[in-house]
Amino acid sequence: MIHERIIHTRELTKDYGSFRAVDRLNLSVRTERITGFLGRNGAGKSSTIKMLLGMIRPTSGTGTVLGYRIDDPRQSIEIRRRIAYVGEDKGLYGYMTVAELIRFTRSFYSDWQPEIERQLLAEYRLPSRRKVKALSKGMCTKLALLLALSRRPALLILDEPTEGLDPVSIEELLQTLVAAPANGTSVFFSSHQLSEVERIADDILMIDRGSAVLDMSLEQIRENYRRISLGFSTAAPRLEPLPGIEKVRCDGRQIVILASTNADAIAQLGRDRGAVDINVSPVSLREIFLETVQERNRLDQQRHLEHDDALV
Amino acid sequence: MLWYKSLREIRTVTLVGIAAMAAMCALVVLNQQTMRAHADAPMTYVAYIWKSVYNSIGRDIFIILSIILGSGGLLQERAHGTAGFTLALPVSRRSIVFTRAVIGYLGVLAIAAVPIVVVPLASGYVGEQYPIAQNTGFFFLWAACGAVFYGVTFLLAHRLEGDYISVLLAIPLLMLYGVLLNLPWLSRLRMLNIFHVINGEDMPFFNEARHLLIAPLPWLSLAIMVAVSAVFITFAARRIQSLDL
Repeated sequence: MIHERIIHTRELTKDYGSFRAVDRLNLSVRTERITGFLGRNGAGKSSTIKMLLGMIRPTSGTGTVLGYRIDDPRQSIEIRRRIAYVGEDKGLYGYMTVAELIRFTRSFYSDWQPEIERQLLAEYRLPSRRKVKALSKGMCTKLALLLALSRRPALLILDEPTEGLDPVSIEELLQTLVAAPANGTSVFFSSHQLSEVERIADDILMIDRGSAVLDMSLEQIRENYRRISLGFSTAAPRLEPLPGIEKVRCDGRQIVILASTNADAIAQLGRDRGAVDINVSPVSLREIFLETVQERNRLDQQRHLEHDDALV
Repeated sequence: MLWYKSLREIRTVTLVGIAAMAAMCALVVLNQQTMRAHADAPMTYVAYIWKSVYNSIGRDIFIILSIILGSGGLLQERAHGTAGFTLALPVSRRSIVFTRAVIGYLGVLAIAAVPIVVVPLASGYVGEQYPIAQNTGFFFLWAACGAVFYGVTFLLAHRLEGDYISVLLAIPLLMLYGVLLNLPWLSRLRMLNIFHVINGEDMPFFNEARHLLIAPLPWLSLAIMVAVSAVFITFAARRIQSLDL
């Protein structure tokens, strides 16, 4: 069963008491693609992943993974049978040896590939007889990856997969992930390492405070996102809003605009309003991330201060 | 293979429990001459074994081990950070809870079975005899009563997070139960007193003078105890089913 959208959520919401971790999230992940899932700590990434895996129940909204409903316990088992997951904290059983944990995990999956297991065991230099609790953090990550990659899952979900890995292992992992779609495996991974995401991801999904703030292919981002600097000989004028203007920062005689599309028209607007120096440059994913998150953070702080003032 | 994981989780406690129970039984038998000589009143070897193994230290060790084996499960896994890995396996939460419950109870049964092996062997070594049928009878009493102690702790362990909370709470709860049994209207229902059923004290199937099980065991009552434990475990599974982990 091939689905064009391997993950799909509609108005997915998760509340923990009065705190809303995921807020009406509409998510759509394409099949056989690598999707980078970005967001600050506490943005709702892990809660979203846990809902996709059936570990926590959505407060409202719904979603499917591989066509199976995430809020149905029986269908959730089918999801977990067909996907592989590496959690942020790994959480492997410390009382088992590496070999025992591999044997244990293998017993749950009919698509286990012994030759991949052997290859990764050698590649990662994992000591089979050592207890998991005696492994370093990096080794634990490698073992968790081995357990996930020794199959041919339809979907690989990884939460901060490179954490604790040395540069060589990170490189090997990224190469493995890049090759995954060719084997029919879609990859959905969260990371704080934006340079890694930018290197391997096809699509970017950015969330903040539980809501999607960016859902686009990396190609589209590279094509459309631009930073437009407009320099004026006198005080910068107010610019009327145009489609594509995401952020505007005014600083004396200069206006800096972050545009998600329509860069030429925005530059032309600047020219029409008397800009003497116009500079249009591409924007990195890191810049988009920081701009988006910082702007929301600033607005939030402002709202907080206003609220505090009102209380006083 | 869930059974394997559960087995590994309880392996140390079970093996230590079996060793402790075996050592206790052996010491009781090997010291029988000295202990009986210093007793307030003369007693038979059978009475000595009942008082030492089935009515005091042996029973107490068994109850404590049943309670310890009942702790653990998914909430404890969450505290240890392994719940995510377990829940990502393609199995239902119900299977995880019931497998853990069954394997844990098998540990209880293994500890309850230790006197069946050790007491006759050690008795032969010191030239005494203790009927194996008596050991077997007490095994069934321990198995049923142990199921209740185990089930109570299992339920607590699936409601309260923390390593020792369930154990620490189960002990005073059972003590409170023991106190409540002294209420006049409850004391009349003798079969409710699992602290007496477990060793036969004041029970129609036990001869107080000879310290022997004499009549058929109260199978219905024992079955009800196991059923009560199963209800506790079902409640534990239902609780985990709806919990965000």
